[in-house]
Amino acid sequence: MNLFISLETGLREIFSHKFRSFLSMLGIVLGVGSLIATMAITGGIERGTRAFMEQIGGLEMVNVVNKEISNDLQDFWNLSPGRTLQDAYAIKQAAPLVSHVSPQLDLGLPVSSGGQTMRVRVSGVWPDFLEIARHQIAAGRFIGDLDVDRGQRCAVIGNTIAATLWPNLAPADTVGQTIYLNDSPFTVVGVFTLYERDRDRLARERGLSKVEEDRRERRGTRPNRGDPFRGKNEAVLIPFTTMFYEFKSAAFPDNSSDTVPIENLTIRIGNLKSFEQALGEVRKALEITHRGVDDFGFDTREDWFDQMEQRMRSTRTSGGLIAGISLLVGAIGITNIMLASITERVREIGIRRAVGARARDIFLQIIVESVSIALMGGVIGVVVGFGIVQLLTLLAPGDSEPFISAASIGLSIGFAAVVGVLSGIYPAVQASRLDPIQALRYE
Amino acid sequence: MALVLLQDVKKYYFLGGQEIRALDGVNLRIDEGEFVAITGPSGSGKSTLMHLLGCLDTPTAGRMEICGHDLSQATSDQLSLVRNREIGFVFQSFNLLSRLNVVENVEVPLIYSGVPGRKRREKAESLVRRVGLEQRMRNRPTQLSGGQCQRVAIARALVNDPRILFGDEPTGNLDSHTGELILHMFTELHQAGRTVVLVTHDPDVAAVTHRVIEIRDGRVQREYDPRVAA
Repeated sequence: MNLFISLETGLREIFSHKFRSFLSMLGIVLGVGSLIATMAITGGIERGTRAFMEQIGGLEMVNVVNKEISNDLQDFWNLSPGRTLQDAYAIKQAAPLVSHVSPQLDLGLPVSSGGQTMRVRVSGVWPDFLEIARHQIAAGRFIGDLDVDRGQRCAVIGNTIAATLWPNLAPADTVGQTIYLNDSPFTVVGVFTLYERDRDRLARERGLSKVEEDRRERRGTRPNRGDPFRGKNEAVLIPFTTMFYEFKSAAFPDNSSDTVPIENLTIRIGNLKSFEQALGEVRKALEITHRGVDDFGFDTREDWFDQMEQRMRSTRTSGGLIAGISLLVGAIGITNIMLASITERVREIGIRRAVGARARDIFLQIIVESVSIALMGGVIGVVVGFGIVQLLTLLAPGDSEPFISAASIGLSIGFAAVVGVLSGIYPAVQASRLDPIQALRYE
Repeated sequence: MALVLLQDVKKYYFLGGQEIRALDGVNLRIDEGEFVAITGPSGSGKSTLMHLLGCLDTPTAGRMEICGHDLSQATSDQLSLVRNREIGFVFQSFNLLSRLNVVENVEVPLIYSGVPGRKRREKAESLVRRVGLEQRMRNRPTQLSGGQCQRVAIARALVNDPRILFGDEPTGNLDSHTGELILHMFTELHQAGRTVVLVTHDPDVAAVTHRVIEIRDGRVQREYDPRVAA
């Protein structure tokens, strides 16, 4: 029998019992709704976390860190110079799978614009640092090779720094201004964009609620407390060489810029597919500069990603459980309604059989009907899911905005269809097994 | 040519552990173009015979051929196919689908023969016209009189151009005047060349046919031509 005819018959049946059909859809509606909401929330968290990860450097960023050396190697400890600029050169030359490398010299310094003063951590870096830390220039430029070669007194500053030091200027307009680091004048050559989480952006766009403002006033907390982007927004970056000659050489009179211990050594792996090989290359290069002493290690972001995955898995499981139970209830509801509907239509089934319908035609008719109910419930459920998501964002704005993907809609509708087929099977078998003669006599 | 061929057909039921011999060795042959009445008192087995002839059931034993199909041990799907293509069935209680209108009711058998939508509609409408209900095409069965309902049922029975038209007490639910009109339609269909088989206990109905088969106790008791009897 023509599927389209079954569909028409099915829809006619559904619409002739509108309220009953709607009631039987409810389970599916709730199931699909919570499925959509769960996927939107976890999807939002995932997207937010990924974006955040990207902004703080992504999986490709690796810190080369110091490591306690094992007891039996204690005697050789002095052989290794520790992390120095030599390491950065070595990696640059001997590790082609590493796309970017930058050493880092840090120093806490008073920073002033002439008027405002604040104490921040200033870092001396290479031009590669821009890519490694995934910084974005809002205005001006980053530190260039020439700046490093010549030890230029130039600085690139984070958005918050710019806004704090020059409250009357737009951050972008601070390019060209003079900044004083420990009273040495530096030219601001670039300003970074403002990095913020979805939550903070939303709060900024909407404005703080009165309650939140009062609370902050009382406690005196800064609004960006706990902000993971704080470090990036409060960055003051100058050329590596400038940092050494201006601020460090006095502290390390015996060292050249090549041998001064560096605070940080960060690299960026060119391609995640060759992550392990790249780390192997780095290890080989550093074994030479560290004279075979195993006093360094790698700090990667893989653990962060694993944690995030785990958190999302648990959210997904609990949401999926609710959705699953609702869908099960929905399936039972549809089965129940279809059984009732068949009992009502025994005679109709008999008539159809008498004029030539095969058992499988009746089976198909019932299945199409239950699938239609389930799909309608699914579509309504998607709408309800959108509603739940809207409500949730309104009531409890979280770290990341929920995000309804086309795939999650497709998946939910698919689930509804499967539920429709499964819940229709038993009634359909019952209906198709009716004896035509008995069915025709049925009153 | 024989459209119906029954050889020693038996149909037994088991009811509460007791064997009921509804048909106990029926031999019957109906040729193309015949106009036949099957009569008998209630409990004689004529309904069971009707169900067999209407391909709603298979015999317990014996040989049964309908329109050249050996249906002695037919499957449910084979029976459905024969019901759909070779047989038209008119019931005492009309058996129309109350949620469908007249044309849609007539269309139902065509749906199961896989006729595409537009052609189905055209064919159904032409048959509704043939039974004289062109004014009532979009009406539901509940809005029609009994006679009109039976005309819709006849249109439905004819829509697949069957070789045999069965009527199971087709006038049983109608007043005598309407019954006569319906009976007249069957006569006309026979005159146009259709093989018509009526099941009835009404002697007046049986009288318009050309061959009466009397069933009693599950057997053919006698056969006669009502036009020459009396």
